[in-house]
Amino acid sequence: MLDTSTQPTGPVTQVAGPNGPSRRRRRRDAKLTEQVPRHLRAHLTAYLMITPMVVLLGIFVIWPLVYAFYLSFFEMSFYKDAEFVGFDFYKYVLTDPEFYESLLVGLKLALMVVPTILVLALLLASFLATLSKRMAAFMKTTVYVPAVVSSVVAAIIFVFIYQDEGFANWFIGLFGQGPLAWLNTASTALPAVAIPAIWLGFGVSTLIMLAGILDIPESYFESARLDGANFWQRTRYITIPSLRNVILFLLVSGLTLTIQEFQLPLVMTNGGPVNATNTPNLYIFNSFRDATPYATSYSLTAALLLFLVIGTISLIIFRVVSSEKSSDA
Amino acid sequence: MNRSWYAPRRLLTYLLVAGIAVTALFPLAWMAISGFKSQNEVLRSPFQFFPDVWRLDNYRLILADPAFVRAMTITFVGAVIFTVASLVVNSMAAYAFARLDFAGKGLWWLVCITPMFVPAMAILLTSFVVVSKLGMLDTLAVLIIPGVAASAQMFFLRQFYLNMPAAVEEAALIDGATRWQIFLQIFVPQSLGPFVVVGIASFLGYWNSYVWPVLVVSNPDLTQIMQYLATFRSARGNEWGMLMAGSTLAALPTILLVLIFQRYIVNGVRLAGIK
Repeated sequence: MLDTSTQPTGPVTQVAGPNGPSRRRRRRDAKLTEQVPRHLRAHLTAYLMITPMVVLLGIFVIWPLVYAFYLSFFEMSFYKDAEFVGFDFYKYVLTDPEFYESLLVGLKLALMVVPTILVLALLLASFLATLSKRMAAFMKTTVYVPAVVSSVVAAIIFVFIYQDEGFANWFIGLFGQGPLAWLNTASTALPAVAIPAIWLGFGVSTLIMLAGILDIPESYFESARLDGANFWQRTRYITIPSLRNVILFLLVSGLTLTIQEFQLPLVMTNGGPVNATNTPNLYIFNSFRDATPYATSYSLTAALLLFLVIGTISLIIFRVVSSEKSSDA
Repeated sequence: MNRSWYAPRRLLTYLLVAGIAVTALFPLAWMAISGFKSQNEVLRSPFQFFPDVWRLDNYRLILADPAFVRAMTITFVGAVIFTVASLVVNSMAAYAFARLDFAGKGLWWLVCITPMFVPAMAILLTSFVVVSKLGMLDTLAVLIIPGVAASAQMFFLRQFYLNMPAAVEEAALIDGATRWQIFLQIFVPQSLGPFVVVGIASFLGYWNSYVWPVLVVSNPDLTQIMQYLATFRSARGNEWGMLMAGSTLAALPTILLVLIFQRYIVNGVRLAGIK
């Protein structure tokens, strides 16, 4: 990869930097246009350019977020005015065993899905890196295709696969097992939801890992090969250490995304059997639909608490990844 | 290289490639194949992979359902409008944040980037309250507008604009070009690659969305395709052949999109700068 510091990015960042246009530029601009100094015109242009974004995000994200925090301090009711209850709902959520139970389900799902995806992606990406250009292009598209399938379609396909006479039971039958009622048994339901999640997620992780592997200098692998290192040794001592940041990124972002998964269980099991697939967001989503105002305030608060945790984690990954970038440049 | 060693290794590579491709695409193939099976074949015991006779009946039946065709059409129209609107809104803001300097830039940056860390679930309920207060329920607008501004996409485009050389821009400024001209005539034409990447993400996001449409749309004329499929599954869940045919047709546009733009997508991973 090109060293970015040799590219003329320096002056750009200076112009766009937070410290205002450089003095040299301002003087030159003033000479160019008599009436309105150009740096002022850029102000107006800039505001026009960001206005749609700011207005839309303000109405549809920032305001709902502020409003959600506001509402979480009130108990709403059909019969009387909303009543300020302070942190009561936070206390309810944090002492509610069902909330923790759903967190545990989300965590279990993430622990089934994310490590599997990481191992799969590492193996696939290592293999793809050895292929010829044309074959690699074919494989990259192939592994990416599942990633664009919607959760609803994936859920429907896998419900079909898990039917009594479906593919899954035929397959385990080859090994003399089953048949199982996959989605109706508490012990198999969550793994059965994890499989489509893995199928939907492995493609993007593989492509990201592959990009990382292609950035490792070929000479590392060459000299390892000359020293007689086999595939596992190369993976263990070169690939994994070089991909440390990529793996960390995929691990943490995978965990936060999978804990939030709820469309698959919503369509496949709706949380059952006996809450075995009731992920935190599914639990929250179903309480939203529960028409009582109490459930509404409660689930709103649960969603906010989850947001605080997950938002903080994503912010940290984002910081790490972007500081990685800037130290690169 | 020793040939006797080389040939079996090549064969092994081909076998691995074929094996991975078949496994990765199996669920999709299985869905499409099942669409060709008759009602009593689709979940038959003993198990069989292929239908005795390849029938188009299920595909024909689902395409004869006006609700299905309407859902496909309205979702497609919405997705196209959504994609174009997202590109306009996000690229403009991306350009401003990457290339212009203005008062309060830090604050506005914070406003535009914070939403990236807000999970949809945290604001799902209050967003619903907001759109219903705005009288937007049961309109095409409520499906499109709330998602148009996307922080992650804006961030991605901004990264791309930050890396464009300053020389072109400075030359254009000296020639008296306005910032709008520079954006529209220099930056936008060079953004094809990143536009394809974020455009596809927008299209997929809209086409595949399910939860938001379920909340905000009840008018059958506006039913989105994923809504249609989920409803079909709960109402007529035993008609697997037809459901598989419908799901196949619903997945087709997204898969075609990937095949058409595959070159850009694979590069997009590099553009995203995760490494």
